[in-house]
Parts: sequence; structure tokens; C-alpha cells
Amino acid sequence: MPEPTADIRDPTGWSEEVLPTRLSAIRESERRVLSRLAELGYGEDCRFAVRLAIEEALINAMKHGNRMEESRKVRLAYRVLADRVEIRVADEGAGFQPACIPDPTVDENLQRPCGRGIMLMRSYMDEVTYSANGAEVHMVKYRGSPVRGFPPEGRRR
Amino acid sequence: MKAYVRQEGSCQVVVVEGSADVAASARLREVLLGALDAGATQIVCDLSKTDFISSDALGVLITAYLKVHGRGGFLRLANPQPRLRELLQTTRLDHLFDVYPDVASAAEGA
Repeated sequence: MPEPTADIRDPTGWSEEVLPTRLSAIRESERRVLSRLAELGYGEDCRFAVRLAIEEALINAMKHGNRMEESRKVRLAYRVLADRVEIRVADEGAGFQPACIPDPTVDENLQRPCGRGIMLMRSYMDEVTYSANGAEVHMVKYRGSPVRGFPPEGRRR
Repeated sequence: MKAYVRQEGSCQVVVVEGSADVAASARLREVLLGALDAGATQIVCDLSKTDFISSDALGVLITAYLKVHGRGGFLRLANPQPRLRELLQTTRLDHLFDVYPDVASAAEGA
């Protein structure tokens, strides 16, 4: 693996994109972030985790936040530093309370076809925090951290 | 992502190649539900060449699983690669789907 290199292109390191609420727009944004990770020598496991987290955050922002109204925008901000990757996703919806989302890993919810996005983000990123109204999520993945942030065993029943 | 169906014995094998991301889940839904509409009751999803799967595509698999179980059939997963296997464990969907090391054993259920 190459030596980690600090992002010196921008003093803060943040890049920002504004996406329409269109699911087909997600892939290109992911590619740009992932190529930046590859440039700085982040490994495949980390790139998989970050891709999954971005995908789930953008899907949630478009589907649940913006209710698939294409005129509404989603803001994706990211910075890739030597020691960590930070992602912010904000939608124009009314927000929500993450604590109210049912745990999709418990037996009675396993057959539900949706509701796994937040759980995946929390599992694969090291830090996931929401703004007070839930319309913006901030995620951090540290270089070299395990692919999964925590095993789900503790929450099984 | 490329998704297609091939017949193997009495099973319809749905092969998923590449990334089953949200942009590709419509195609996955079309292929899987198309097989169900054509009367398939024994489905094996070959994940050996699947390098990514989003929650949206997982939802498609679950929907198809429920439909095929409702008519007394099965939908089994074959040969997910390590990152996908771990994702199935993380979501505990390995407790919903039967996961096999290859298509042949998935088709046999052994």
C-alpha cells in the first residue's frame, strides 16, 4: 500500500456535489469518491464500506427525505484525508428520528424488504451521526479500521 | 450489472454479475420476478460474480424469496464472495436465505 498522502488540494479537503433526486445519479458520485480513496491508497475493503455507506445514505435522502421529488436536491460532501474519510449527505426533506427506525436484524423484521440502510451505514462506518432533525448525516471511516464497525450479535434476539 | 437466467436441471439459476447497486436493482427485479411470472418455483441466485449489493437489491431478493416460498418453492443463494457473505451475516439475512458454496449444492439443497 502506498504511503498515506494528505489531501493538499484544498485546505479543508472538502468537495461538494449537488445531486438531483434521481437514483441513477448515485453511481457517478460514488465513482468520484471511490477514485479519490484509491488515489490515497485506501484498500478494497474500505472502498467497499464507503461505497455501501454513500449508496445507502443517498438512497435514504432521495427516497425518504426528498420523497423522490426530482426538483429537490441532495448535497453530498466528502473529504478523503490521510487517516480518514468523511461523508456528509443532506436532503431537503422534513427529517426523521433515526432512533425510531425498527431494527432490521431482529427475527420479526428479517422478511421486510426495506429498512436496512441506516443499519448498514452504522455497521460499515466508524461514526454515523445525524443532525437534530435527521435531514443530514455525517459519517466517518478511519483508515485501517475493521470493515464492519460492530458485529450484530449483541442485538440479536 | 448483468443479470440473466439459465436452466440447470429443475432449477432456474439467476446469475448476477457485477454490482447490484440501486441503479441495477430494477434489472434484478425484472429478471427475478420475470422468472417467477414464468412459473419458476426453484430458484438459485448465483452470486459468485457479484461484487456489491445495496439494501435495495437485497429487498428485491427478499420479495422474490417471499413470493416463491408462498407457492411452496425455494430461492437459495450460491457462492457469495467474502464481502457479500459478511454483508449477509451483518444483516442477518443468512438466517433468512439458505446460502450454499456453489450452484450445484444449492440446486440439490445439500
